[in-house]
Amino acid sequence: MRIALSSSTERSGSNRSKTHMWLRNQFVPARVQATSIQILCVVVLIVAGISVPHFASMTNLAAIIYSTAAIGTAAIGLAAVTLCGELFLLSTGATAAFAAIVFVSSLGAGPIPASMAAVAVGLISGCLQGVAIGPLRCNPIIASIAAASVITGIASLLTGGRTIIGGGDASWLGLGVLFPGLPHQGVLLVVATLALELVVQRSRFGRELRLVGINRVAARVAGLRTRTTVLMGCTLAGGAAAAAGVLIASQSGTANLLIGSDLNFGAIAAVLVGGIGIAGGRGRISDAAFGALFLAIIGNLLLVKNLPYEAQLAVKGAAVLLSVTIGAFLGGKRR
Amino acid sequence: MKTHIQRTLWQLILPAALLLIFSFASRDFLSSGNLYALMQAFALLGLATLGISLTMIAGEFDLSVGAVSAVAGLVLVKTGESHPVCGIALALLAGLAIGFANGALTRALRVSSLVTTLGSMILLNGLAVWLEGGQVLAYNNFDEADLLDQAIAGILSVRSLIAFGGFTLVALMLSFTRIGRDIRAIGSYRRAAEMAGANVSVALYIAFMLSGMLAALTGALTSVSLSTASSRFGADLVLQAATAAIVGGVTLTGGVGSPAGIACGVMTLTILNNGLSLLGIPSATILLLNGALLFVVLISGGRRLLPRWIATTPGRNTRT
Repeated sequence: MRIALSSSTERSGSNRSKTHMWLRNQFVPARVQATSIQILCVVVLIVAGISVPHFASMTNLAAIIYSTAAIGTAAIGLAAVTLCGELFLLSTGATAAFAAIVFVSSLGAGPIPASMAAVAVGLISGCLQGVAIGPLRCNPIIASIAAASVITGIASLLTGGRTIIGGGDASWLGLGVLFPGLPHQGVLLVVATLALELVVQRSRFGRELRLVGINRVAARVAGLRTRTTVLMGCTLAGGAAAAAGVLIASQSGTANLLIGSDLNFGAIAAVLVGGIGIAGGRGRISDAAFGALFLAIIGNLLLVKNLPYEAQLAVKGAAVLLSVTIGAFLGGKRR
Repeated sequence: MKTHIQRTLWQLILPAALLLIFSFASRDFLSSGNLYALMQAFALLGLATLGISLTMIAGEFDLSVGAVSAVAGLVLVKTGESHPVCGIALALLAGLAIGFANGALTRALRVSSLVTTLGSMILLNGLAVWLEGGQVLAYNNFDEADLLDQAIAGILSVRSLIAFGGFTLVALMLSFTRIGRDIRAIGSYRRAAEMAGANVSVALYIAFMLSGMLAALTGALTSVSLSTASSRFGADLVLQAATAAIVGGVTLTGGVGSPAGIACGVMTLTILNNGLSLLGIPSATILLLNGALLFVVLISGGRRLLPRWIATTPGRNTRT
């Protein structure tokens, strides 16, 4: 199994050879899906910008970035769970809704403390699930379904099913733009992706995460802290889901239980489409962000062409199945 | 080593205890009306749990049962207006086809069924929303609803009898047919079963197709009784069915589980939910308790947890 940790090029001293090696590295079986999605993003953006009216307007591009920011933030956290081999957490939407409610409720203290409170709630939720999934070795999907039900129940008890209206001002986060067409949320997503990518690619924790995903038994025998690593991965995913909820809630300053209802499938689709392997260990965090961008572009195209909501769902489902199929053919892993 | 009958008797303790508690807690619990409602709920949850348990026994998991039941209900309402039998048959056929597709994807891609059924669940959600077409669909065939829901002997109905029949048939299949034995075998240890000659493909397909058909039956019965179909039906079905199955003794690792135990698990969950709602607890809280119950059962069901603690004392044998 080829781990693309650093581009091991032969030191031939000629620039052309290094670039050639880098290009070749992008298309090895482990990276070909991720690279294709990145290329497709650019291609679809250009083609749609030229051929579809109103697509290339600043408001439309900002809309794409807003939808990428929310799902992308949740997806880069979920990618940590997928990378360590624990499939997915289906509690992403519930955690986002709960965190959004906490954010909006404590908005009176200012947007920064409120977001910190919300992310803390997400980290706790992810940690509790991580305890069940990591050290206690429960099935991650079923544990997260159970956790989602508990989280939604608690949120429902807290809000009584109503919409909470915040008492403060989060417009910098929700509506602020760096320049027309690039909202602050987009910048935050880029920063978060870079930070997490750095952690996973270069730090010891990231290395352990990937190795646990590749072969958990071998990692344990080699002395890695497998249970703690999975626990931290799940905690990260919970925190990221909470951040996504904060981003969504800051746009309107209100929160209710429906926030993040499409976050579950959206984040999973982004992770899979972006090229992160389900078996674990294959892929980078930035792949999830690019997957989110690609799905946001496609979703926006469907919207601009006036196709109904179920078309988007069908496309997401088909994208998941297609990525799994391609991944199975490329990976060649037999059960 | 407990015999099968002894194990089932132990599993009956929990629902019996809950029955006792709730009959004291609420005056109306043992009324024939409430018992009838209990049996109706048991029938629906029981059929869905039976289906999902078959896939769990085979070592897989079918996440799409909720979505299948929603789609089946919508198919029934759209096609069964004038020919109700035809509508039910089409709904069941849809469930069979979806189960076949799930089995084919899992088998062909050699990928965990959690992922393939997740993908099909998303697709079916989209299909359900499309079938619904943004309206609330009404099913005006009330005669059929009367036929299915009329009380027999006070607490039973055609629906509960269908559920009992389903349980009996699956029990017979698992115990006396080769396919049933193969399903258990591939869930226990797939490589060994394959080498011993079990027909892995057929067993997988049968498990998923039965799961799809039983989920479709659940959706069809729900839609007939409620005289409507919606893409939002069956949203909690996976959670409740998984909880009932695990409480009923079906393990997530596969190979273990019996319809008698599953019936006990379903009875436990049904009595719990029924009793709680009779006490006036809101449905959101009931769902919360279902989730908490599943969490607790998951954590305590890990056999790996106990041996590790036992193994820390020297002299005990370890078991991975």
